[in-house]
Amino acid sequence: MDNKDNFIKRIVKTRGMGQVITVAFGLIPLCIVFGILNPIFFSGQNIGNLLRQIAPILIIGIGQSYVLITGNIDLSIGSVVGMSCMISATLMTKGVNPLTAIIITLITCLTIGIINGTLVSICKLPPFIATLGTMTIARGIAQIVNNNYNTDSIGEGARGFRDFFYYGKTIGLYNTVWIAIAIWVVFNFILSKTRTGRHIYAIGSNIEASKLSGVNISATTTKAYLVSSFCSCTVGLIICATSGMGTMDAGNSYEMYAVAASVIGGVSTLGGQGILLGTIIGASIWGVLQNGLQFAGAPVAIRNIVIGIIVVVSVLLDVVIRTGTFRFRKLSKP
Amino acid sequence: MDNYIVKAKHISKSFSGVMALDDVSFNLKSGEVLALLGENGAGKSTLMKILSGVYTRDEGELEIFGKQVGNITPKKAQELGIAIIHQELNMCAHLTVMENIFLGREIQNAGVLSNHEMTKQTQKILDQLGIDISPDTIVGTLSVSKQQMVEVAKAISTNAKILIMDEPTSALTSREIDELFTIIRKLKNDGCGIVYISHRLEELKHIVDRVTILRDGKYITSLDFKETSLPEIISYMVGREIKEKFPRVECKRGKKILEVKNLNAGPMVRDINLDLYEGEIVGIAGLVGAGRTETTRAIFGVDQKQSGEIILDGKPITINKPMDAIRAGIVLAPEDRRKDGLCIRLSIRENLTLPNLDRIINKFGVVNKNKEKKLVEEAIDNFQIKLASMEANADSLSGGNQQKLVVSKWLARKSRVVIFDEPTRGIDVAVKVEIYNLMNHLKQQGIGVLFVSSELPEILGISDRIIVMCEGRITGELNVKEASQDKILEYATRFETKKEAVGL
Ligand SMILES: Nc1ncnc2c1ncn2[C@@H]1O[C@H](COP(=O)(O)OP(=O)(O)OP(=O)(O)O)[C@@H](O)[C@H]1O
Ligand SMILES: [Mg+2]
Repeated sequence: MDNKDNFIKRIVKTRGMGQVITVAFGLIPLCIVFGILNPIFFSGQNIGNLLRQIAPILIIGIGQSYVLITGNIDLSIGSVVGMSCMISATLMTKGVNPLTAIIITLITCLTIGIINGTLVSICKLPPFIATLGTMTIARGIAQIVNNNYNTDSIGEGARGFRDFFYYGKTIGLYNTVWIAIAIWVVFNFILSKTRTGRHIYAIGSNIEASKLSGVNISATTTKAYLVSSFCSCTVGLIICATSGMGTMDAGNSYEMYAVAASVIGGVSTLGGQGILLGTIIGASIWGVLQNGLQFAGAPVAIRNIVIGIIVVVSVLLDVVIRTGTFRFRKLSKP
Repeated sequence: MDNYIVKAKHISKSFSGVMALDDVSFNLKSGEVLALLGENGAGKSTLMKILSGVYTRDEGELEIFGKQVGNITPKKAQELGIAIIHQELNMCAHLTVMENIFLGREIQNAGVLSNHEMTKQTQKILDQLGIDISPDTIVGTLSVSKQQMVEVAKAISTNAKILIMDEPTSALTSREIDELFTIIRKLKNDGCGIVYISHRLEELKHIVDRVTILRDGKYITSLDFKETSLPEIISYMVGREIKEKFPRVECKRGKKILEVKNLNAGPMVRDINLDLYEGEIVGIAGLVGAGRTETTRAIFGVDQKQSGEIILDGKPITINKPMDAIRAGIVLAPEDRRKDGLCIRLSIRENLTLPNLDRIINKFGVVNKNKEKKLVEEAIDNFQIKLASMEANADSLSGGNQQKLVVSKWLARKSRVVIFDEPTRGIDVAVKVEIYNLMNHLKQQGIGVLFVSSELPEILGISDRIIVMCEGRITGELNVKEASQDKILEYATRFETKKEAVGL
């Protein structure tokens, strides 16, 4: 009994948990409302689909959370998703075997991550500008690889590829969901249990103090951007597997969905705060809204507006909560 | 064989053409406390930042533990056994005490952080220092003085043999200062060499063995503390003698300027009543955390008031935001210069003109460059702010010069009441006198001066009337003629005893 109490207390006290619990309480009524509006919402099949819809958003959300916690932002996510989709599809239509295609795609995407990290931490460009640049570059590459056309079908040879990333199921869950779970587990571990993770929080909280404590700022920043481009790459492959071809507009405005998932889940855009458990909830709220509104017959435009409002409101709530009950004292010594 | 653990020879460093250090040498022995002294901008912090790897020197040699060392980084300095407590707080607000203390040198086990081990060690250090906080408190929720103690704990936890403390006491309470001194003495006995920087010269006698004095980036002299005296040290620092540390001018008390009635604003401002007359300086004394800053903020309209009346020159005024106060003629030079006092990324010129824009713009809102230049030059001249150029960032000024900038930006403006919150913190002796003169000058002009200070000698030396606060209430008022340190302390510690509440 006592032990259990302590355990619960420890969980609640974990960094960022309060915010996560708050939004989790937002998620539940949302599901109930959609469940009442449409009984099919809770059917096994819809839940399966819902999870598969959430998975890619969770993955890019994890990448964006890493970058946001360092106090930066990655706007190139959507374009890297598109680039990953187009490069892998083009290669496979040219008969390259899927594994080789994946490796080449991954290398290209990670290069963008390294460029982002270098521009931000070594060249000291504002992250907004630096990643706006790579966003345009990556989208350009996505368009150039197949001469400004969507690719043909990636064909029968890629059957296994499509099953692995999208259509297949393992122990009752779609593989896409398993991939998201695996990525979450690994990156959550790194963020919460390793030195790299600690340094990611530290530089987001106070870059000067971290530098003076001997933290390698550029390496840490670059690692965060690498995680982000790795996640985007994975999502690009999932989209390629889903449609069976490369589409040039794949991943459009995904960077914003990634920000939405992170911020709704309590990751602060100012850096230093947030946990990946929150990103799960953020991505779920995003998914439930999309799925539920779709069922309710709301057009895409309305869904966009609703999600936009939710993002703004959750940031606002975040600010109110933080300044209301948890105001930081002044930090600099007078 | 000497036992010098640091030998710095002919060190020079310039920032965009301005010499911050010019051929400076100094030595540190093991088992001694060396006070590094000098006016604001003398180059003390710069020299220590070179030693701890924050800046690289332009010229000169550095020998640590008898070995020549080339360029060092913060990491390399750590490995060499050098730890530094910087003049400005450097903490990650969102991380815990433990995480901050071990930042950059986390203990791991097979690639995984050993939080348990680090928490244990942190607890040990905190106990040793007598700091009553838990290792997993989020640092941002601690008071400034507690954060400062965490900085101390962090430096000590590295087991450094060379410890640099850049104004560690400027944000500490007297009890914490005592604890710090005990620790310093212990470290000294363990053979550490400590460089100690402070503008509170009275505290040197408790710990210091030797002093090294810099002036304008140049080495002046090194003296054994026992064989010198404060006046001698001061004359080396300033280059001339300072006759009166607390100049006092007598004025006739005139009519009432400001009256604050039943002011309430949160737990730290409870039922405050105070008056301020022409021709007097009122000092607000109290321990750190007594609600003095909060009171000034409430009067100035920064924080929300629950109730209370403010009467200026006989007329009740409403102050809901700082602009209301400024319009009415009440200005505040805040305590935390980097956070509340300055826009540190703007130039010195822009900082100075920010609260005075209305005086230098024409009726279309365009700034008159000539007027601006004149205003800035006057202010810089009045306070002798040491700067590279008025276009340099406020950030590039030395700590004390930043403080001068905060004060001077308000004084370029005509006001009825000027509130100073810890105006001399981190300021050298000579400039302190300048600031006192300035307050006296205001007093002679019939402007009301209210000032908060934690340094009792200064409160006693400058104010005409002293108000003492404790736990958000005014617990006493003293005329300076009847006041003494003991009396002030007695009022300052009139806590509402906890026993009463428990005994209910
Ligand atoms: N990063 C910087 N860029 C430009 N100038 C600088 C920088 N750091 C220090 N300076 C200049 O170097 C000189 C010495 O500054 P330093 O901070 O070492 O003084 P200090 O002796 O520590 O003064 P204080 O007692 O006020 O802290 C000052 O004139 C300051 O303006
Ligand atoms: Mg200094």
